Amino acid sequence: MISSVEPIPVTVLGGYLGAGKTTLVNRLLSGDHGRRLAVLVNDFGEVNIDVDLITSHDGETISLQNGCVCCSIADALGESLDRVLALDPAPDQVVIEASGVADPAKVAAYGYGWPGCRLDAVIVLADAETIQAKAKDQFVGELVTRQLRGADLVLVTKSDLVSPEVLDSVLDWVRSIAAVPVLPVSRGEVDSEVVLAMSRSDLDVGSARVVTRGTSPLTDAEAMFETATLALPGPVNRARLEAAMSLWSQDVVRVKGIVWVAEADGGNAQPHVVQRVGLRWSIEPATTNIDQETEGGRLVVVVLRGTLDAAALINDLVDAE
Amino acid sequence: MADITVFTARRVRTMEASMPTAEAVAVRDGRIVEVGTLENMAPWLDGYDHEIDDTFSDHVIMPGFIDPHLHPSMAAVLLPMEFTTVVEWDLPWSDIGAVGGRVELLDRLIELDAKLEPEAPLFAWGHHPIWHGEVDRETLNGISATRPVIVWHRGYHSMIVNDACYRWMDIDLEAARRHPQIDVDRGAFFETGLGVAYRHMNGFLLGTERFRAGLDRMRQVIHHGGQTTIGDAAMGMYGFEDEWEHLKAVMERPDTPFRIQLMPFDMGPLGDEESDEAMIERILAYPQRNTHRLRFSDHVKMFADGGFFAELLMLKSPGHLDGRHGEWMTPPERFERVARAFWNAGLRIHVHCTGDLGVEMVLSTLEKLQSERPRFNHRFTFEHFGISSAQQVARMAEVGALASVNAYYVYELSRAFADHTLGYERASQMSRLGSLERAGIRFAVHSDFTMAPAKPLNNAWVAANRLNESGEVMCANERASLDAAIKAITSNAAYVLGLEDEIGSLRWGKQADFTILEADPYDVGAEGLRDIPIWGTVFEGEKFPI
Repeated sequence: MISSVEPIPVTVLGGYLGAGKTTLVNRLLSGDHGRRLAVLVNDFGEVNIDVDLITSHDGETISLQNGCVCCSIADALGESLDRVLALDPAPDQVVIEASGVADPAKVAAYGYGWPGCRLDAVIVLADAETIQAKAKDQFVGELVTRQLRGADLVLVTKSDLVSPEVLDSVLDWVRSIAAVPVLPVSRGEVDSEVVLAMSRSDLDVGSARVVTRGTSPLTDAEAMFETATLALPGPVNRARLEAAMSLWSQDVVRVKGIVWVAEADGGNAQPHVVQRVGLRWSIEPATTNIDQETEGGRLVVVVLRGTLDAAALINDLVDAE
Repeated sequence: MADITVFTARRVRTMEASMPTAEAVAVRDGRIVEVGTLENMAPWLDGYDHEIDDTFSDHVIMPGFIDPHLHPSMAAVLLPMEFTTVVEWDLPWSDIGAVGGRVELLDRLIELDAKLEPEAPLFAWGHHPIWHGEVDRETLNGISATRPVIVWHRGYHSMIVNDACYRWMDIDLEAARRHPQIDVDRGAFFETGLGVAYRHMNGFLLGTERFRAGLDRMRQVIHHGGQTTIGDAAMGMYGFEDEWEHLKAVMERPDTPFRIQLMPFDMGPLGDEESDEAMIERILAYPQRNTHRLRFSDHVKMFADGGFFAELLMLKSPGHLDGRHGEWMTPPERFERVARAFWNAGLRIHVHCTGDLGVEMVLSTLEKLQSERPRFNHRFTFEHFGISSAQQVARMAEVGALASVNAYYVYELSRAFADHTLGYERASQMSRLGSLERAGIRFAVHSDFTMAPAKPLNNAWVAANRLNESGEVMCANERASLDAAIKAITSNAAYVLGLEDEIGSLRWGKQADFTILEADPYDVGAEGLRDIPIWGTVFEGEKFPI
């Protein structure tokens, strides 16, 4: 059923009711990001898509002009996943909106275990205004805390609705629960680049260059994140690459791209798919032929606005020529 | 044919306080015209052509038994399988002994392998590691190298298969190997891993022929238990319209001696795709499709916390013995929103609810709804009622709640849960009934079949004795009285379903539904309830011997 060799990245969006998952889903579905996303949602009723963008709606699946589809989970996640994996052409990435009472770490099993998939990341959203109260709630407190602990990356939403002091204390509190990057986002405007993974369309022959095509729909002044493409002048030593993945600041929210990796025992450097979300990273041999645009490949980095130092990041990987 | 048939009996046990016993029941067109003595019935018998039927002259006529909560569709999937549980099953087509340990399980599998058609998959349901130890792929390869062998967990929590099953499933083992909840070497699928297994098996398990054969077995099971009315407590689990067609084809037949009260639920096909108003409108329209035996009403099902056998109940402090966590099946906020919509629409709400935190969530919601918009006669029912406290029972009484209890948990699970899940104090008090009775709360007992055998007398026996499979009495103070245990399968079960004017006791005007026993339970006493032989039933005036 899955003809391509590259598994499809699966990203799990978790978080309790009201955390802003649906807002993010709406944004992903209508965004001009150039990816064919398949978004699996619990509740069609909440999805709010401009009707002009809808090309078909067959009851279980909504197809959009930008190539994205939205599919209802309706109690059977495995079936919905199969349905979108069988689409022709296959989606670039699957985003699962976990139910508000699900443990997203459990849902993640569908990412790393389902045939044809790989887990990209578990991204958990938390409402800045309510997360601490929810964590003390007698019915859901334990669950809400467990959701945060299962995250690779936490987005604290509605951060513009609390004072800077409160926001700081919320961020510190979340960090005390979950030892992963914790990022504030405002007005429901999560840059879709944070969610977008390296996908198979990026790996099609000759298209390594398009990994940068995801564009932020926000104006510069509003954007929380900025994106840069690092063109690597030469192959990267594996140990050095692994060290960078482990040690790069948590301000570097996402890393994705193709890197020619040189092994310690010499031999020709080989292209590898590199992914990093929060503390989760992987370096896998690319199984698709890829044109070598630069000596060392390219990495796209999404960083917190104002923290980008591209030269320093490149220096961490490859010595300047 | 005579206008009136009078069934005489050694005793008629009416379950009506005004006249607890009688000698005869006169029936016309499937309904009772009078209960009493032949002598007192003279005005009817003088006025109409009648016949006396003394088939039951040596038997006891009881109101037809009612099991208000079971799942015909789940049973239809399971009943074509082989049963290998730690407790015995007396099924109409065979008596299945208890499979007490690992050796017994393997012996049973060898025996079944020899019996089945060469190519047929062997599905064995009932494995539980607490009793049966671990079973793996190699073990099952030893049972058969050519036949798919599938050993399914008692609480549907895991599945173990052999190599022949991998071939039959045509599963991509390399992909399966990456799944954290599939252990390819052991042949084990857990939780989300089960989803992978089901997608290769559902075509087989839910195929029309097999499913309808399973439903037909369910028909026999219900008849053999002596039930004349059952409640399907979540119609549409495998797809609403498919199930409806299957039920009509298999159950709506002249030789089906019972009716099914169907309860739609607020998830899946009814849940998230539409507004609460549209969902309610749909639920209110279902009775328009009622047939003679298949009936919707104004009762609706909701879910709070996870399954009891699967140990996914939500607990208050001190939680699970081993620190594991339960699950909410419905987020508390959504539960409150939907429950309020149902409440305000006048629907009667039944809630699946297993742990004391689940009870707390549901009870606090009910208290809120009662204060916002007080209702009487609302029949709000706590279903299953695994773990609760006496203080919660007192609050349930305040707001008029009912309970439909799986008493059988005590029999099969109280010792295992005391040792492994809850500790003794809570485990011994699971499915508390004595407290309900003392608080004046009307309760039914149910089987949730296949969680418990669909045998009302057996469930009443557990309720009144609280003996477990190890022979211990678990919390004698939570036993139901004999009278309450019998009401829990007759008059109070009818009340829970909102059918008390139609069934549940014997008096003028009610359906002529009887369960015919060899002895009067009130003579036999609590200890002997489960051993009372059942002759058969009468459904709407027609005799159906077993």
